[in-house]
Amino acid sequence: MSPTLDMAERTWRIVSEKNAVEDAMRFADLATSYLDAACREAVVLAVAELTENAVKYGSVHHSAGSATLGIASRDGAIRVRLKNPVHSRDDARSVVDTVSRIASSPNVNELYRQRLAELFANPSLPRAQLGLLRIAFEGRFRLSCDYHDPFVELVAERSCDKSK
Amino acid sequence: MDLQLGKPVAIEGLGLKLLSAAELQIEGSLNTETAQSQIADHLSRIHEYVLTEKLTSFTVDLRKLTFVNSSAIRLFVDWIARASGSNYKLVFRTDRSITWHRLSFSVLKSLAPNSVEIL
Repeated sequence: MSPTLDMAERTWRIVSEKNAVEDAMRFADLATSYLDAACREAVVLAVAELTENAVKYGSVHHSAGSATLGIASRDGAIRVRLKNPVHSRDDARSVVDTVSRIASSPNVNELYRQRLAELFANPSLPRAQLGLLRIAFEGRFRLSCDYHDPFVELVAERSCDKSK
Repeated sequence: MDLQLGKPVAIEGLGLKLLSAAELQIEGSLNTETAQSQIADHLSRIHEYVLTEKLTSFTVDLRKLTFVNSSAIRLFVDWIARASGSNYKLVFRTDRSITWHRLSFSVLKSLAPNSVEIL
């Protein structure tokens, strides 16, 4: 999470895996009603993909707590944050590594193209693994990630200033 | 192909309609596993139909498909791979004001430039 952003955050707790993505998208749409359409579209995309990942690969419920989603904005910047428990350290490492690879890439467009090309050439690949790439490529978010057992916290930030 | 000309099929927040013998309209939002699974079946049947009818191209109108999740992007990758392997062209009608249309379809076209046309 960026130390430069100190934002009031609207949060939503994922209480059920059923309809979690649709509910999260509705929350995102309501929480960003003041933003322009393009930025709102990007936030809804990020929230949908992050929530789907949490449901598919993580665990929305854990004895240590539930998954929570946060959306905050200030001074033309917006931040989407999803904190969810994971089943294992290996799952956490996989997410952290993926985010690190995307965040350090000088060309996210090329990463996205490469992944689609892999799927095109290998239709039997079991997982698309496009969600985080889409957030960076289509949504133009910067990604970062932290792991504090058992929680992974993934943060997506971008400018919503039309001039940028 | 069990879709019938002019008769819309609704799958949760998603609508499919055959506009002609060689054009499918998809509208709404595609973000659930149920919808993904059902549309994947429809797309497979359309692929078989294109081969049976020896069509050289098939058009997909996506202009009212406002949101898809990343699993749905893969449906399009898979369909393009099948079309490319079967020598027919997929023509996608898109709306460039919708970000995922504008960005993802330019990349999808790059996978098989001779098998994909974006309108």
